[in-house]
Amino acid sequence: MPGIRQHRTRCWGCGPVSHCEAGWGEEVSARDPRVPVSHRPARRPVAPCLGWAAAWTLACAGLLLGGALNIECSLAASARRIVSLNLCADQILLDLVARERIAGLSFLARDPTMSTNVEGARGIPAVQGSAEEVLALGPDLVLVGSYSTPATQSLLRRLGVRVAGIPMASSFEEIRAVVRQIAHETGDEAEGEALIVDFDRRLEAARAPRTENRPFALAYQVNSLASGPGSLLHEMIEAAGFRNLAADRTLGPGGRLPLESLVLDPPDLLIFANAPGDFRTVLGDNLRHPAVRYIAGHQASLHLPMPLWLCGTPRAVEAVERLAAARRDLGAGKRGP
Amino acid sequence: MRYVPALVWVGLAAAIGFAASLLVGPQGIGLPLGSDAALLVLFEIRLPRAALGFLIGGALGLAGAVLQGYLRNPLAEPGLMGVSGGAALGAVTAIHSGLAAAVPFALPLGGLLGGAAATFAVMVLAGELAGPLTLILAGVAVSSLAAALTSLALNLAPNPFAASEMLYWLMGSLTDRSLVHVWLASPLIVAGSFVLFSTGRALDALTLGEEAAENVGVDLGALRTRVIAGTALAVGAATAVAGAIGFVGLVVPHLLRASARHEPGRLLVPSFLGGAALVLLADVALRLVSPAGDLRLGVVTALIGAPFFLWLVLRTRRELGP
Repeated sequence: MPGIRQHRTRCWGCGPVSHCEAGWGEEVSARDPRVPVSHRPARRPVAPCLGWAAAWTLACAGLLLGGALNIECSLAASARRIVSLNLCADQILLDLVARERIAGLSFLARDPTMSTNVEGARGIPAVQGSAEEVLALGPDLVLVGSYSTPATQSLLRRLGVRVAGIPMASSFEEIRAVVRQIAHETGDEAEGEALIVDFDRRLEAARAPRTENRPFALAYQVNSLASGPGSLLHEMIEAAGFRNLAADRTLGPGGRLPLESLVLDPPDLLIFANAPGDFRTVLGDNLRHPAVRYIAGHQASLHLPMPLWLCGTPRAVEAVERLAAARRDLGAGKRGP
Repeated sequence: MRYVPALVWVGLAAAIGFAASLLVGPQGIGLPLGSDAALLVLFEIRLPRAALGFLIGGALGLAGAVLQGYLRNPLAEPGLMGVSGGAALGAVTAIHSGLAAAVPFALPLGGLLGGAAATFAVMVLAGELAGPLTLILAGVAVSSLAAALTSLALNLAPNPFAASEMLYWLMGSLTDRSLVHVWLASPLIVAGSFVLFSTGRALDALTLGEEAAENVGVDLGALRTRVIAGTALAVGAATAVAGAIGFVGLVVPHLLRASARHEPGRLLVPSFLGGAALVLLADVALRLVSPAGDLRLGVVTALIGAPFFLWLVLRTRRELGP
């Protein structure tokens, strides 16, 4: 529908303008205090754009003609065209800044097997990751993974684009640090702190006491991977009141637990951290193995979708909440300390 | 070594490999018995692994012996000729098209079709009386194309772990295979092996040359069909459930050739048993070296096979050289 497209584009062209209009943001975000302010534009309806197309166009034109200064009003110090090339930064960005300020997100942000916010990413240009695409979007800030695509990073820097390397967060403390860093880069420190406060509040509500007799849990993934200490999953499991079986078996953050060991000495809660359907070829075969299905039939088990733990973002708190709920269902551990 | 003692030795080695495969686990050596879980480990995890090791190793050794006899070329082998690569491509296509989930046996049949296409392509490219160099070049070309297309298929499907999966298909593995895989692969491997065993007498006649073979009643066209069909069935089904495992078909027939007095027909049974022994023992060895199981079976067979291959190339060059 070309008509809708056109209207949408026109409305977005006025993005900074609408952001300037007092009351617009507060009004919508006030409906759901749990959702950060920035989340609001993701659900910004297209309908007003259609209904008030003429009015919008007039308003835009008026503002553009009448006072270009107005457009700059609240955004003078902050980045206005932000591109993210990193799945984890994508998701934090969507929760942190107004949608109109995001010029592009990585294509992974639209993948429901990996991203927590597919809805939010819809409609924002998807970037595969080449410097050329990024330049075409005319960004004033580009977020990249610290250790990924060094060639693209250096090329963008040489061409004079402001590039911020965002490290991967694999603990709750690192999540807070990464949110603060991104908020600092985009110039939304207050919003960032609000996200962290919300994250900490939910985390503390979900956190279970570290009793002596905690049950064992294991985050079982494709290729028999099981995350040990040093991984976000480990911290989630421990926060929810479990002992991580992978830590008991001295596995590292990317450790592997042979299927046999799992069958002979299973955890009290088997967490399926990947869905077998996500991996149709061989890597997911361990999840479809009859022996694993047998264990799942005899022990408590839980499916924890990959987007919830793949990235260290404030939304990862939902994984702790789900694990804590499973912990309450399970009751006390069957094993001794 | 004489024929019968050699046959007994490889048979014994295969039996030891099979038993060891049942005995060795990540927690050390021993038969898990007693609880339900222990029986599950024995019958659902170790038995499928041992059975697949026996059948797949046997298929690869046998296919190597038949291809070397048929092409009268010591460098012929399913892995080097691109048959395993083609089969892997067929299997990946079957999985990503959704056929493997919808139709039973679509997975090994995909491997079969891919393997048959690759075998056929190499034979057409290299010709039936090709020198070693032409055969290897044709094999490299077909293998590379198959690997590239497999990689493309994995990348086109939304798959965050395409690189790891690629590694699996290039460097096969028996880790975490189940009885489901045994039921899928074994009928086709057994059928393919019967077809390959049936070529024995014709292969013996072929050592005298094509004309002489035709004079004693060998139908060359039918023989060619049987070689392609048997290889595709056995290697295709093997690769579809375990990925590409290289060099088994190269090493085993060579080690046993002298005992068979250089008669290709007599080499087939020992090559089947020898291939089974090699794969089973390599799979046990990698479990002892890396109990967590991230070492690939194809890595171990390549470690054994690649130096052997180099030695073979040097010897071939000396024989052909001025």
